[in-house]
Amino acid sequence: MSAPALEPMVGRYLTMPVMGAECRIYFEEAGSGIPLLCLHTAGADGRQFRHLLCDEAVTSRYRVIAFDLPWHGKSYPPTGWQEYEYKLTTELYVETIRAFCLAMRLDRPVVMGCSIGGRIVLQLAHAHAGEFRALIGLESADYQQPWYDTTWLHRSDVHGGEVCAALVSGLIAPQSPTEYRHETLWQYMQGGPGIFKGDLYFYRVDSDLRGKLTGLDARRCPLYLLTGEYDFSCMPEDTLRTAESIPGAKVTIMKEVGHFPMSENPAQFRTYLLPVLEEILSATA
Amino acid sequence: MANSGSSARTEQDRILVERFRRAIELAFKADTDLLRRGWLVDTCCLIEIGAERILLTIRNGRPAIMERVPLLVSWDFAIRGGAEAWTALWQPVPRAGWHDLFALTKRGAMCIEGNLQLFMANLQYFKDLVALPREGGTR
Repeated sequence: MSAPALEPMVGRYLTMPVMGAECRIYFEEAGSGIPLLCLHTAGADGRQFRHLLCDEAVTSRYRVIAFDLPWHGKSYPPTGWQEYEYKLTTELYVETIRAFCLAMRLDRPVVMGCSIGGRIVLQLAHAHAGEFRALIGLESADYQQPWYDTTWLHRSDVHGGEVCAALVSGLIAPQSPTEYRHETLWQYMQGGPGIFKGDLYFYRVDSDLRGKLTGLDARRCPLYLLTGEYDFSCMPEDTLRTAESIPGAKVTIMKEVGHFPMSENPAQFRTYLLPVLEEILSATA
Repeated sequence: MANSGSSARTEQDRILVERFRRAIELAFKADTDLLRRGWLVDTCCLIEIGAERILLTIRNGRPAIMERVPLLVSWDFAIRGGAEAWTALWQPVPRAGWHDLFALTKRGAMCIEGNLQLFMANLQYFKDLVALPREGGTR
C-alpha cells in the first residue's frame, strides 16, 4: 500500500451573478503566478484538469484554476432551473467566463479550454482579446461536422449518463492509459440530465464561427490550438482550417491523443503543453 | 458507403466473418463482463462485413451467430461496413479516424441503421461486442 497522498489543489465555492442570475460556482486551484483558467468539455466538469493542478512544472509558475460551469460538477444550476431546459449559448458562455474572471480579480489570465471550451476561446480571442494574456484552444475549431443526433442524449428510454459516456468513448485515443480512459468516461456518466445536450446546443447550433472571426489577429493576443490526432469530432483538419484564417495562430497536432488530452493522457499532453506555457512566460517576461 | 451488400463475396470477407465468430465464441466461453452489462439485451441484429451477412440473435446479453441469413428475416438494426473498415477497426492499435464505430460512420465507411433505441440504450455493450476481434482490445 502506498502512503496517503494529499494533493496540492484546494476547492472552494463562489457565488456570482451571470446575466442576472446568481450562480454558485465550484472551482479548484493550485499554484501561483500567471492565472491559467481551464475550461472543461461539454457535459463534464473541472475534474478533467486534476493532473494539471498537481503538476509542479505548471503550478510553480501558473495559478491554475478550473471551475465547473453552472449545471455541471459541483456547481448548481441557477435557482428555478426546474422550470426550463438548459441551453448554453455563446453569450451565456462568454459572460460566465468573464464574470468568473471579474469575481476572482484575475489579471489578464491565460484561458485554456477544451472542445466547447476550445470553441469559446476563439470567440474570446475575437471579441475580448484585450482581457487575456494568451488563449489556448484544445480540440478547437470554428465548426465541425456533427456525427450523431443529440436527441439520444436525453430521453426516458436511454440512460443519459451511459449513452453520453459510450458516445464519447471513441474520442479517446487507443493509446491512452485504461485508468484515465475510464476516469474520463466516469465524468460523462455523472452529468445532469440533458446537460451534455444543452452544451451541444452551443457547439452545434449557436456557435458556428465560420466566417465570423474576421479581424481576429493572434499577434495581438497569442492563440495556440492543440488538437489530438484521434479526435474525430474536432478533427485535426478542422483545427488547421480554422487556423488558416487567423494570422499568428499556432497549431500543434498531438500524437496518440484524442478529444480529452488533459484527462485521458496527462503525461502525453504535458509534453505538448509545457512548451506553450514556456513561450507565454517568455513573452510576458 | 463501402458496401451495399450486392458486391461479390470475397475470401477476405469470409475470413473476417470467421474472425468475428471465433472472437465472440471465445469471449462468451469465459465469464465476460459483457454478460453483466448486457443482461437486458434481447435483440436480433444484422452485421454486414463486406458482402457477407450474419445475424446476431442476442438473449440476455448472450449472442448466437447465424451465418446463413434466412430470406425475409426481420432484424432490429444493422451495422454494415466494408472489409477495409472492419479490418481497420480490429487492428491492435487502430489508426486515427478508423478506431471507433462512429469515426467510421462519420467518414462513411460504416452505416448503422434500423430501430436504434436498444442499440443506443446499450451502446457500450454493442461497441465492445463488435470490437471483440481486436487483439489486445481497448474500450
